[in-house]
Amino acid sequence: MLSKIENDLLTHTNSGTGAGEYFRRFWIPALLASEVPTPDCPPVQIRLLGDDLVAFRDTHGRVGLMEEFCPHRRASLFWGRNEECGLRCVYHGWKFDVTGACVDMPNEPPEYGFENKIRITAYPTREYGGLIWAYLGPPDKTPELPKLEFARVPDSHRYVSKRVQESNYLQAIEGGVDSSHSNFLHANVDAFRVTDSYVAKVKSSPNLRAKYHLLDKAPRFTVKKTDYGLVIAVRRNAEEDTYYWRMTQFLLPSYTIIPYQKGNSIHGHCWVPRDDETCWVWTFTWNPDEPLSQEDRDAIANETFVHAKVEPVTLRPLRNKSNNYGIDRELQRTTTMTGIHGFASQDQAIQESMGAIVDRTQERLGTSDTAIIATRRLLLQEIHALQQGNEPRAAHNGDAYWVRSCSLVLNRQIEFDLGAREFMIAEV
Amino acid sequence: MRLNPAHIVTVNDSSEETLRELIAALEVSTDFEHLIYRESELDAVWSIAGFALRDEPNAIRRDAIARLRDTAHVAHDLVADRRPREAADKLKSLL
Repeated sequence: MLSKIENDLLTHTNSGTGAGEYFRRFWIPALLASEVPTPDCPPVQIRLLGDDLVAFRDTHGRVGLMEEFCPHRRASLFWGRNEECGLRCVYHGWKFDVTGACVDMPNEPPEYGFENKIRITAYPTREYGGLIWAYLGPPDKTPELPKLEFARVPDSHRYVSKRVQESNYLQAIEGGVDSSHSNFLHANVDAFRVTDSYVAKVKSSPNLRAKYHLLDKAPRFTVKKTDYGLVIAVRRNAEEDTYYWRMTQFLLPSYTIIPYQKGNSIHGHCWVPRDDETCWVWTFTWNPDEPLSQEDRDAIANETFVHAKVEPVTLRPLRNKSNNYGIDRELQRTTTMTGIHGFASQDQAIQESMGAIVDRTQERLGTSDTAIIATRRLLLQEIHALQQGNEPRAAHNGDAYWVRSCSLVLNRQIEFDLGAREFMIAEV
Repeated sequence: MRLNPAHIVTVNDSSEETLRELIAALEVSTDFEHLIYRESELDAVWSIAGFALRDEPNAIRRDAIARLRDTAHVAHDLVADRRPREAADKLKSLL
């Protein structure tokens, strides 16, 4: 449980709030590079941390990110013309470059030089890993870009998607670190009921997760604080002398990496507050060694796993609250726990059902919620530290993000952080 | 034998035996990780007490359960404030 004060501190992200200022100390994913694909392409509206912004790629290929509304009459620059190294408001012709400087003001007499005195708030951007990253914090505190593995593989080895979720970012992160929900929310009915046919099927399966989750439904949790955030280790009994371990990283301010089994692709998320009641869900799939497989591409196309298709303008998933996420009650009765297609939609449905911002004073946690508690406490400690003038160290240590999740079987005598150490380092 | 603060105490009930285990764990907890485990255990006690309170018809027992739940809440917040020894003292007042 959290107090109301703690819950508010974690979930409110506008400028001037605890979590809002904390997020503003990091580079955050803002756009897919493909949203502003070419010089002078159409501008894009985006809300980040409660701020309404507009992005555009100028004639020289530089990406500008600035407040959406023209300082003259507050008209939206989304309707503007992206031309000759600037975005021009179509109401009275004021034009701004990527730094926010007003470079033309054709409706005022030139002798006044009014344009030299006008600026619009603009934020620095970087293009990295197929994404446009933004920094919305104080210029003298500019952080390092996180050295995330997905961002450093060739384009053919990576797929990134972005969607809007209608909930606060924190309950989405909590879903990401809460490994126990996958036994239920993402399970099929046979696995949940442990039917004979299912047992026979998974016992010979190379999928360690399916096999050992079935054999031990009461995992033990361990959390360790790290330079980048947390490593969350979940232990299940495997064979007589071994444990099956799954390690998830929580990377500040809001990334997770799903436990990875050697030979497969790796998947991760980042949740960025759009405002207090909605967030951007970024989902990354990458293969460090080779281009994504046909199996990966099929999972993406068929939305079976972590990616979901979206409406092109709103970026809202096609399966959403307005259509009950496409729930199929017959499928739920016979086959899957939810009757909702795909992990992404299952997560979205359940997290949105909790309300825009969960009232954490009313919840009933237990010891299987250790990872959730650890994530909240770490974020609260970081926010409090920033409020006392201590800048987040992770924001200035991009190398700390050079990690990878893993899942493996270890002898019972070996501690996970020793046995898994070499597997938790990125390799690209 | 000294209790290992890196192990999570199994909380199936809010019995005196469970509380003694929690107190012992609180008294040796120092690190961030330890305090996370202690918080999760106290969350569990608070949850169990809350459910029990809802179903308890006897007024005297209700008072005792309410005291347990409220003390677990206070102890929880002390752990969150990195004050596990004080949290242990609070739980001792229930024994």
